[in-house]
Amino acid sequence: MFENDGLPVNTDGATPIEFTYRGKRFRIHNVLNRWCEAGGWWNRISDGIYRPDDNARAIWRVEAAPIGSVTTFELERDEATGKWLIRIV
Amino acid sequence: MFNHLSVASAFSFKYGTTQPHDLVARAAQFGAPALAITDRDSLAGVIRFVQAAKDFGIAPIVGVNLALDNSRVTLLAQSDGGWRSLCRLMSVLRPDRNPPTLHLEKIKTLSEYTSNLILLHGPDSQIANLITKHRPDQALHEFNKYRPYFADSVIECVSHLAPGDGPRSTGHAGRMLGFARDHDLPAVITNGVRMLDAADGPVADILDAARKLVPLHKRHVERANNEAYLKDNQQMRDLADEISRAAGERSGRTLLRATQRIAERCILSPQEFGLGGIELPEAEVVGVNNYQEMRALLRSRCESGLNWRYSSSDDLAKARARLDDELATVATLGYESYFLTVADVTDMARGAGIRVAARGSGAGSLICHLLGISGVDPIRYGLLMERFCSPLRRALPDIDIDVESARRLEIYDLVFKKYQHRTATVAMLETYRARHAIRDTGAALGMSQTEIDLIAKSLPHIRARNISKALESLPELRSLNINTPLAAMAIKLAERLDGLPRNIAMHPCAVVLSNNTLPDRAPMLINASGYSMVEFDKDDVEAIGLLKLDILGVRMQSAIAYALDEIERTEERSVDIESVPLDDADTFKLIQSTRTIGLFQIESPGQRELVGKLQPDCFEDLIIDISLFRPGPVKSDMITPFLNARHGFKSPQLIHPDLHGVLAQTQGVVVFHEQVIQIISIMAEISYAEADEKRRALGDFSKQQEICDWFYERASRYPKTVVDEIWQVLRAFASFGFCKAHAAAFALPTYQSAWLKTHHPAAFIAGLLTHDPGMYPKRLILDEARQMNIAALPVDVNKSDTTYRVEENGIRMALSDVSGISEAEAINIVRAQPYLDLTDFVRRAGASLPVTEKLVMVGAFDSLHNINRRDLLLHLADINRSPAAALPGAQMTFGFKAPDLKPSGLPDLNSIEKVQTEIETLGMEVSAHRLHFYGHFLNSIGAVKSSDLLKQRSGSSILVAGVRVALQQPPVRSGKRVIFLSLDDGFGCSDATFFGDTHEEFAQTLFSSKLLLVRGVVRRTGPKGVSIRATGAWDLGAAYESFLLKKSNLA
Repeated sequence: MFENDGLPVNTDGATPIEFTYRGKRFRIHNVLNRWCEAGGWWNRISDGIYRPDDNARAIWRVEAAPIGSVTTFELERDEATGKWLIRIV
Repeated sequence: MFNHLSVASAFSFKYGTTQPHDLVARAAQFGAPALAITDRDSLAGVIRFVQAAKDFGIAPIVGVNLALDNSRVTLLAQSDGGWRSLCRLMSVLRPDRNPPTLHLEKIKTLSEYTSNLILLHGPDSQIANLITKHRPDQALHEFNKYRPYFADSVIECVSHLAPGDGPRSTGHAGRMLGFARDHDLPAVITNGVRMLDAADGPVADILDAARKLVPLHKRHVERANNEAYLKDNQQMRDLADEISRAAGERSGRTLLRATQRIAERCILSPQEFGLGGIELPEAEVVGVNNYQEMRALLRSRCESGLNWRYSSSDDLAKARARLDDELATVATLGYESYFLTVADVTDMARGAGIRVAARGSGAGSLICHLLGISGVDPIRYGLLMERFCSPLRRALPDIDIDVESARRLEIYDLVFKKYQHRTATVAMLETYRARHAIRDTGAALGMSQTEIDLIAKSLPHIRARNISKALESLPELRSLNINTPLAAMAIKLAERLDGLPRNIAMHPCAVVLSNNTLPDRAPMLINASGYSMVEFDKDDVEAIGLLKLDILGVRMQSAIAYALDEIERTEERSVDIESVPLDDADTFKLIQSTRTIGLFQIESPGQRELVGKLQPDCFEDLIIDISLFRPGPVKSDMITPFLNARHGFKSPQLIHPDLHGVLAQTQGVVVFHEQVIQIISIMAEISYAEADEKRRALGDFSKQQEICDWFYERASRYPKTVVDEIWQVLRAFASFGFCKAHAAAFALPTYQSAWLKTHHPAAFIAGLLTHDPGMYPKRLILDEARQMNIAALPVDVNKSDTTYRVEENGIRMALSDVSGISEAEAINIVRAQPYLDLTDFVRRAGASLPVTEKLVMVGAFDSLHNINRRDLLLHLADINRSPAAALPGAQMTFGFKAPDLKPSGLPDLNSIEKVQTEIETLGMEVSAHRLHFYGHFLNSIGAVKSSDLLKQRSGSSILVAGVRVALQQPPVRSGKRVIFLSLDDGFGCSDATFFGDTHEEFAQTLFSSKLLLVRGVVRRTGPKGVSIRATGAWDLGAAYESFLLKKSNLA
């Protein structure tokens, strides 16, 4: 469970299985797609700090529902910070 | 167990991030049964990959990733013959250095080779592109187009979890798999690997930017994310599941099984690459029909050599016995072809009038001496065949030959003409070192070109991973502004490029000589010089049993050849330098005087000091001198006991009467490998060949104890104290010892150069100036001539040649050293000689105006005109302004009246200006020494002339000045840097040593100033030896100025 100012998400290994969204618990029923993106790690090097994962992201496009109703979300984890974000697709 | 079938190593130049060895090690860690290497456009990494695979017990699979029209595909070699086909295919596809490209018509003509290869249509293929466009019909057409010409064609599914639905996304991989299933085509999964770890992403990005010569930007980097790394079994199984599910299958099992089947069909054995084998030229090449005849040929050639090299019956008998031994060894190994081939090459060279000398341990073989490969008599100088070649070691021995550098490629041409497809040059890997790494990284990160230049040029030639360390430890680099975040980042990332190959180039001297099967064993390309070249480097070719011959271009050999020609031209008699006796007293007197500048091997400051101490008086002494002058003996102080015994201060330690014969030659100090071999052989009662194996093992620290136990047991008939003492010597010096044969081979040109300098100094120095063989600038060589009372004659349009010529009273400067002159220009000027005057020269010589102006300024027309150089320059301008000058070539000669020539009243150049012009134009001063103008200043501050150094008391503090002619920082084992400086002041050379404590304050000055004033303490090291321990250094010009301001308090 990630308890930070990102989204609280339960995972199995790296794969998300449950998350809390607007006060409700959602269960992921189906992963429609997932992908990874590298960020431009060179964009912020002017401060001299090497961040090879800067802005790198892993994205899951999932079907999830509180109880009964299934909604499609994207869960996004910032690879550098481990924070999670969400949006409805 | 998963087998990766698509893996780009660092030998995908500027693409892959990982050395083959590291990929193999990781796969072994996963327990993979096999691993492939499929580099882009190159097979250069294959041999080291196969060797690593053998070491780790993994089955090697080999392929290549190539362009097919506008797409890319991967070809894998099938077991049994696929490697041969791949080599042949790559050789055919590369008639030049351009990346190889396939297209259908070419494939049709090459099906002989492609039918042994498996074609993978991966994410960069045209099929992948058509699948992206949802055109499976066209994709099938594409697939079938190439199918008949390959052993098999396979769909390669790759998911890097890329975003979108293009290649490398899971969706696309699933559709590739679905396409294969729909049409019943074989499909495999790979991970399109280009990195070892996910964290290597930024390195891959920098390589992308460096390859494309662009700064880092989303547009230019190829990876979408970090997924293209060598994933483990579980990760690949999961990925197979994911792709298969996207294609509507329940699991990845079918896909994994098909991948396994393809892998099994492509497993190669190390033997297929020739690892551990030996492939010498066949008998026909040396002109006989079979191996028996080859043996007979070698014997008969050696026998006739006996009568050529030896005359006394005593010597003959000894030589004959040794020859029988050596021939027996050669027969055991089957190396007859090896010796005959090398002799053939040296014969061809001599036949073309090119000087040849052997180097290395090969000089230890009597066969080499008798065949004319080596000029040193191994019996007389105690050299051993076993050090070079032994039945106990099945590695091909190394023979290196030194030839005239200026004519080296002529020998290549002869060798290629005779051996054809059996020969090729060898590749040399250019890897990222500090300078290139910082350049490429800096450019990728968008640093300014000036900033990059500044850092790159200041860095010494070190490994990329040592950049930070160098920047910390070298005071002269402190002034660089490397603390900006960008520079700091560039340095950090540059270190990660350490050792990655950037390119392959031609090895500067190696050729392989093999047989008809060479094209089956190694891929070839045609290199920039137009020679065919195996794509493997020297270690690789040795590993696959190819005979490698190093043909080194040695400038000294060219200089010697030039000197001999000049002697013949000017004195109308020829000197046979090869038969000059090796005991000429005058020659050794010159060497003892330490005036050795220009001589082979013994001209460096350190060597001048050593010959001063050692005072060589025979050829053996030269061998010892060359052997002692290396970091090991210098540091372990082998030299002091040697010198003490030699000069009679102490008696030599010969330890035991049995060893006197071995140790007496070097005053009881073990200097040579050969001595170690002989000591072990005598005391342990074993053969030289066995003793050499023990000697080699001694160098390996982990085996020392074992050898120690063995030695004490074998030598037990000697008193314990003797064995103790000998063992201490063996252990301490075995690793520092030097191959005597190698030193003896070097001593020969050393002696020859000294002989020429003694007896024909003008011709020899003309040779040095023309071929520039040594470490010193030409201006120092010219100064050496002056001190030997040989005049430096100025450039003269009527007398100068393209090279330096000996004249009655001196050496005439060459036209080729006038700055900016082209070779063709110089040749044309010489061809149209003589000239009546400047006008005539302008008409006929075809020289450009700037070159003509420079010739005027250095006085090349002084002998034709009685007016000064400034007036002559005005005259030249008049000539060029006259209308006729616009007419080309021959038309100009008719009806062209030269402008009047009259003095304008301008003053001539003064002597300082003349010297300055000479330095600017010729790179050296001809009319007077540069320091001449500081004479008054140097006298007033009491600076010591280099020729007076020997008169100084040891321990006194002095000042010396001069032009910096050499600055060396030899690697020292302690890691502490020592800087050696040589100054030339017109009276000879003075050498100063700067130890670490002086670097902080003075290193910057040493590296930046050309004219230096140095303070130091004199140390006498022998009758002719003197060195200066420096305590300070200043720019001479700056010191002079402060002197003029009366502020100098230096003295």
